[in-house]
Amino acid sequence: MINMAEREVSINVPVEVPTEVKSLFLPIPKNLVEEAYKSDEYLVLIGPAHPGSGHMRIILRLKGDYIVEAIPDPGYVHRAVEKLAETRLFVHNIPLVERPTIAESSIMDHGYVRAIEELGQLDVPPRAQYLRVIMDELSRIGDHLYDTGILAVFLGHSTGYMWGFGLREFITDALARMTGARITVSFVIPSGVRWDVHPDALRYIYNMTFFIEKKIDELGTIFTKNPVTVSRMKDVGVLTKDQCIKLGAVGPFLRACGVEYDTRKARPYAVYNQLEWEVPVADECDSYSRFLVRVEEIRQSLNIIRQAVKNIPEGPVIGNKLMARVPPKERERVAKDIRNYLFRLLIGLTLPEGEATTLTEAARGTLLYSLVSDGKSNVPYRLRMITPSWYNLRPFMESLRGYRLMDLPAIYGSWGYFPPEADR
Amino acid sequence: MGNTTVNTLKITLKTIGMDIKLLPDSLASWGTKFSIWPAHLVTACCGVEFAHTSAPGYDAERWGFLPIFGPRQTNAIVIEGTVTRKMAKVVKTAYEQMPYPKFVIAMGSCAMEGGVFWNSYHVVRVNEVIPVDAWVMGCPPTPEAVIKAIRMVQNKIEGKEVKPNIRPNPVDLSKVLKPDKPQRPPNPPHRIEFELIKDINVCKPAASVKWELGQKLIDGVKESLKDGVKNAAVRGVNDLCIMLSNQNHLKDAVLSAFKLGFDHVKSINVIDLINSGVFRMEYVLGSYSSKELQPVLLTIYFDVPRDEAKVPSIIDVYPGADYQERELHDLFGVWFDGNPWMGNNFILDPDTPVKYPLRKEYRIPSLKGVVVER
Repeated sequence: MINMAEREVSINVPVEVPTEVKSLFLPIPKNLVEEAYKSDEYLVLIGPAHPGSGHMRIILRLKGDYIVEAIPDPGYVHRAVEKLAETRLFVHNIPLVERPTIAESSIMDHGYVRAIEELGQLDVPPRAQYLRVIMDELSRIGDHLYDTGILAVFLGHSTGYMWGFGLREFITDALARMTGARITVSFVIPSGVRWDVHPDALRYIYNMTFFIEKKIDELGTIFTKNPVTVSRMKDVGVLTKDQCIKLGAVGPFLRACGVEYDTRKARPYAVYNQLEWEVPVADECDSYSRFLVRVEEIRQSLNIIRQAVKNIPEGPVIGNKLMARVPPKERERVAKDIRNYLFRLLIGLTLPEGEATTLTEAARGTLLYSLVSDGKSNVPYRLRMITPSWYNLRPFMESLRGYRLMDLPAIYGSWGYFPPEADR
Repeated sequence: MGNTTVNTLKITLKTIGMDIKLLPDSLASWGTKFSIWPAHLVTACCGVEFAHTSAPGYDAERWGFLPIFGPRQTNAIVIEGTVTRKMAKVVKTAYEQMPYPKFVIAMGSCAMEGGVFWNSYHVVRVNEVIPVDAWVMGCPPTPEAVIKAIRMVQNKIEGKEVKPNIRPNPVDLSKVLKPDKPQRPPNPPHRIEFELIKDINVCKPAASVKWELGQKLIDGVKESLKDGVKNAAVRGVNDLCIMLSNQNHLKDAVLSAFKLGFDHVKSINVIDLINSGVFRMEYVLGSYSSKELQPVLLTIYFDVPRDEAKVPSIIDVYPGADYQERELHDLFGVWFDGNPWMGNNFILDPDTPVKYPLRKEYRIPSLKGVVVER
């Protein structure tokens, strides 16, 4: 028998912050590192290069292989959209604000343009509203498929990636038929859309929705309900409903915690209140339910697109207030296609003094724009843009706590965290 | 053959004392040509189209092009879009970790000269960081363009001229499109009159809005704050604003809003009124738990002096505001009293020379003229 009490010795180990913390430019306070080393924990750096899309670093404090604390290091894709917006005309900012999330560029434009319309009190004709809704929902499906692909890469499931991006080809094809661009559409402009869409393109989209719905079912057997996927993601990264609200989760990730909140229902814009659809909600609040809610949203979006294509009214796509400045003999053509007049009509756009805040439901959650105009300049005085991934970063870090290091890919993928969007 | 890459490899091996017999040059370059394995280094948003390149639609593996994680097992880097100051170090490290021979494809107009972000304070050009072998145009480039660049790199490996061997059919554009008369932009096009702006009236009451719940909520906040409220108004249906007299009343205002049912922060914002010498702080609050309040936005404003911008932190009431406070500390230099992260950079690099870039006195170049749309 060994007397344990006698064998316990204390050695005075000098705890020093390793030089790597400085040479790798780790943005964590020195005392946090010291504290970690003293309490028998160690630091692990995940990233910046990791299987996900875009880059961020997560600094983990581990005890054994359990995560004690996760410290984010964002900003690898910070491109200063808010500052650049102050040097450009109101219309010039449309291509700028969509760059953070080009996979859903139409939704990003829609939110910004609505802020301009609210301040300038511009009218939007119903046909343009329907076209905007169709494009928004196409982008939403595309973005959820994108996240499915990235989640599959995280889980080491290449087949899921191939299916997600294979199906996305149809979305980009539909956008190209409508707008001419595969991804960065810049199609939404103040008081309407750029041009009227050909009926053939709308028919293509209508038929495509049925194909995607069939393929989503097949994807279910291959990836969504795959036993490996389920066992990797079920009961992992759990938060409570209270935590989710307090830490400010948004969008499908909030709805996966049982909060029935969708900006399209709470503060309806465009024609969402004229269409019939449901808000998918789950109660488990684990990684798997965060994924399932988004799969269910794809079905709802397909439903919205079908209704919108069926009910779309005929008419102009540019509002009356803007059309009043077009010469009368050109009005009939310009009401269907603003090319050659976009520059003349919108370059001198000056908005009245004040502030407009718009909430838009992007694919990953609430997207907020606050546009401040001083009433004299033709550029924004200040544009505040908060993207869903930036909201979700805080609850994402909290959901890592208490789980194992090997669960990190599943949790990361389930939050659909997209660094270019978060850093702006 | 004049293959520079194989020669570099030989020289590198000789300098470290290894004199092994290599494969015949033609065989080595043939093998390298069809094993271009790029590191997975998605620097920005062009990654969307890059992923499509390897997806079923385009399937770049037909040319032996397969993305692999980890730069030590790869021989190519595809720079997917913008490289920021913070990312440049990572790109450089990844490039140095890769074994010879190695190739770089720069993708997108941001990688060339900044693209849309040409005047950003946080963007660098790729050729200032690492040498580039092939450029791809577009914002974002299509997968076909990426495949074109892969063929260019393959030509380089074979020692041929580095140019795309897929070419579109020439089309005489002058006959297809009839350009309109050139339009003259107003001169000067940008009216940036920030120097004249003293104050912006952001809390204007709407002229004819009758909304009982809003009036009730405003009265509720006014009652608990008393003289702390400078101005309170209904800006429209579901849109309230409250102007506080100074920052000392923020804690009380936030607590009373929390009791009314506003359970999360939608946005924290700073409006820099440089000519009045103040920052106008803006807090937008919302609610999830109360069905009645879900559509309502409550905006709280107050002014703090620019030279000592110290504001109480609200993370003890709303923990979700934490990262937004850190962000505004980086970009504006506002000190949130009570947030433990203050004093460190969060989004910006720890060693960056950029300081408080979103303040109005931090100038970045602006367009001198407007490019005329055809």
